[in-house]
Amino acid sequence: MTLAFAWLLAWVAGTAVYCAFDTRRAAGWWTSAIGHGLVFGMLLAGAMAYFFAREDTAHALRHAWLPLVVVAAIAAALAFWRRRAPVTTVVAKPRVERWKIILLAAGFLSVIYRGYLALREILLRPTFPWDAWDAWAVKSKTWFLLGHYVPFVSAAHWIDAAGTGDYTGPAWSYPAALAWVQIWFASAAGAWIEPLVNLPWLALWIGLLLAHYGQWRALGFSTLRAAAFAYVLASLPLLTVHVALAGYADLWIATLFGFAVLAWMRWLLQRDVNQLALAVACVLVMPWLKLEGAVWMLMSIAVALACEMPRRARHVVMGALAIVAAIVATVGHIKLPLFGLGWVSIGWHSIEVPVIGTLSIAFHAKALGGAFSSLFLQPSWHLLWWLVPLVIAWRWREFRVSRALRCLGALLVVSFAFLAFLFLFTDAAQWAESYTAINRLVMHLVPPVITLLALLLRDVPLPREPIHTAQSSAPHSSAA
Amino acid sequence: MMRRVLCAVVIAVVWLIVLGFAAGVVWTSPPLPSVKFPIAARDFRVVQGAGVEDGSSMRVGSVGDDGSALQAVSIDHLRADDFPVLRYRFDGFPRTLELSFFFRRADAPDDVQPAVTVPWPDGGWQSIDLSKVPGWRGEIIEMGFSEYPTPQLAPTSVAFQPFRFDDIELWSPSWRGNFASLLTSWFTYTPWALLSISALGPQREVAQAVPLVPLLLFAVALSLLVAAICLCWSWRSAVFRSAVALGALWVFLDLVWLDDLRKKHALTETVYAGKPWNERAQLVPDQDLAQAAERVRSYFASQPGTHRLLIGAESKYVFLKLIYALLPLDVAPLQQVAHLPWPPGEFFVLLYGDSSWHYDEKRAAIVDTTGHVVGAASGAVFGGGFAHNSRVEPVFENGDLRLYVRRAERVPSP
Repeated sequence: MTLAFAWLLAWVAGTAVYCAFDTRRAAGWWTSAIGHGLVFGMLLAGAMAYFFAREDTAHALRHAWLPLVVVAAIAAALAFWRRRAPVTTVVAKPRVERWKIILLAAGFLSVIYRGYLALREILLRPTFPWDAWDAWAVKSKTWFLLGHYVPFVSAAHWIDAAGTGDYTGPAWSYPAALAWVQIWFASAAGAWIEPLVNLPWLALWIGLLLAHYGQWRALGFSTLRAAAFAYVLASLPLLTVHVALAGYADLWIATLFGFAVLAWMRWLLQRDVNQLALAVACVLVMPWLKLEGAVWMLMSIAVALACEMPRRARHVVMGALAIVAAIVATVGHIKLPLFGLGWVSIGWHSIEVPVIGTLSIAFHAKALGGAFSSLFLQPSWHLLWWLVPLVIAWRWREFRVSRALRCLGALLVVSFAFLAFLFLFTDAAQWAESYTAINRLVMHLVPPVITLLALLLRDVPLPREPIHTAQSSAPHSSAA
Repeated sequence: MMRRVLCAVVIAVVWLIVLGFAAGVVWTSPPLPSVKFPIAARDFRVVQGAGVEDGSSMRVGSVGDDGSALQAVSIDHLRADDFPVLRYRFDGFPRTLELSFFFRRADAPDDVQPAVTVPWPDGGWQSIDLSKVPGWRGEIIEMGFSEYPTPQLAPTSVAFQPFRFDDIELWSPSWRGNFASLLTSWFTYTPWALLSISALGPQREVAQAVPLVPLLLFAVALSLLVAAICLCWSWRSAVFRSAVALGALWVFLDLVWLDDLRKKHALTETVYAGKPWNERAQLVPDQDLAQAAERVRSYFASQPGTHRLLIGAESKYVFLKLIYALLPLDVAPLQQVAHLPWPPGEFFVLLYGDSSWHYDEKRAAIVDTTGHVVGAASGAVFGGGFAHNSRVEPVFENGDLRLYVRRAERVPSP
């Protein structure tokens, strides 16, 4: 009962917060609200536990439910106050052939089936994957079983700080947002019951799929096409693995990055400022989930700002970046304060990230084989990485006419360039050769990549010029 | 009509060539094996565990002390090159066990060639291409199977269920043998592994075939090209049909994955379904670690106050797993602080199994392989003008588990 209350409250609060953002009920609005609501709700519950239950983590629900109710109430009031008339554009619905409906139903059933398998897997098994018990659940289990929060510090600090009550561990510097989400659900379960603590991963996956479907609908996709792309996303094996073997942070990053890109696209295509705020919120949450989230956040902000700049200003910024590169080239290194990562020292031969360590720079040819095998040979992604270049080559002209697509393309190019640099030119190459990290980091970009493919293959043309007013926007939105 | 028939024939030939390449078919070999070398399971002898004859089969009813069973058969100098395909059949083989194949050669009769993991016997015949197994050459004088709990996954205490070992066959080269091996390799069940969270491809089995995804994609692309040329498709029609074909291929791959996921999950159901959480929490693959953690936890439960515990083990997996199992004790990996000077105060040190550290009774210290005292700070001056010497004493020892306590002895500075 308590567990059901914890879930319901989190979901309602998350949905209310989403509704406060999404004031205009476009097509797919309710699936979008449920999907975002599930994810936002879990994160909000974790945040409430962090703020209100640090001294009594074992009863986090008891201390944090009321603040969450208040947040939900305020968000609901805001959503009601800010609500706008739903989009009433009536578009003739094309007749959908029976065979397409049958295919759609079969795809839907297959998604339900894998969701069922993942649910059973989570509910039956103690935490299984390596980093789940080595990194992501260490803080939550410690805090919950201790009954209160204790700081995690580096091993060197820990050994010197006898009597302070500090803890340490290999993942002491990892962000703790997911730990607080787990504490919320552990306190609702009344004990450290791993299946119940890991259940949020299934909700996350459901949220990812529903929100993407809803946002694609809002971007003008037909039901059939949005559902087809939702199936594509749901069918990717590695995503399902991250649900079934719950406990890693990568699916959270992928989901938030996917949400941010969808909202950003709605801003670019429909000039809906609420969606821009939503994108910013999603991007800002990412560093609290996983360190790589800080990298994606910085890149997203940089590309989004560049997209909004006039051409001339963009050139000035590029020039400034070139000067920074020249300084690095001549001085040998430069130190930059990067949010979530600390003072990052970049040099010719190494990059030093305080919370990660030093990565020496050299080309690792062997990692190319690992990367190729991971993306193109192994069954982790079905045909995705074969189809991406094909679709881009086929629909290349779309980039020329749509600024939104160019912006999304630029973000993905920069992101993949970062991954290529990381796995081919730094010590992280060993994780590509051993297949231990490359797929998981690539997974962060998968929902945005699917959105790019969906936009390239959509059945309604994109606006050819940027639209500057909300009134004239949403030319393709149709009544649900 | 003729054009369509021709197109279908060409496409069939394309698939035959592509699949034949993937299967490693020697085109000059016969379609069916000219020689088969069957061995009934009852001819095998039980080396480990227990088994009884059941008609021509062998019913394996229990495992040895280490949780594994092993059956072997001596054979009369069989030339490995003449028999590149092994087929085997089991009935009721438990999901929780893994199967490996081993053999002995005449040129090294005292050495068992390294055992190789083979596809899980999913009912009916399974085939593997032995020519891809390292060491399968020369004359074979013995071969056999070993069954043991699936590594990283199956708890030893519940892994074994009785099963029936039916028979094996060795086949001479043939198309059928090669294609059967290909099918087994592509569609066999592979259990979850720690690597599954990062990549689904690399598995433990040997004799892996060409990966399914690129090969089918290549065959589909070639078929589309042939069809577009033979049937004079327009550009628009070619694009549409290609999209449909790729969509169908995606769905096919997804069905293969769903089947694999279903089978992976079956192991989880076998081990955990119908049991309460308290029982399931104990059913971990490394039950020895769980028991060790329980022993340590009960010791500290009887010790008042808070304690700091450092864990050392050779394997990273072992000490990290112990740390997680011991939470919320204040635990840390010894590896990370062994080189640092430790301040005065009490530290417990837990060493598990083989490790880079051991207790030196004469020096009353934990030392590493170079003889360096872990946490050494002797002579170092700490606040208060006192130097300190530390002394390590054993607390208890239980199998692989050794617990020590290090206490500082404060002595007046000279």
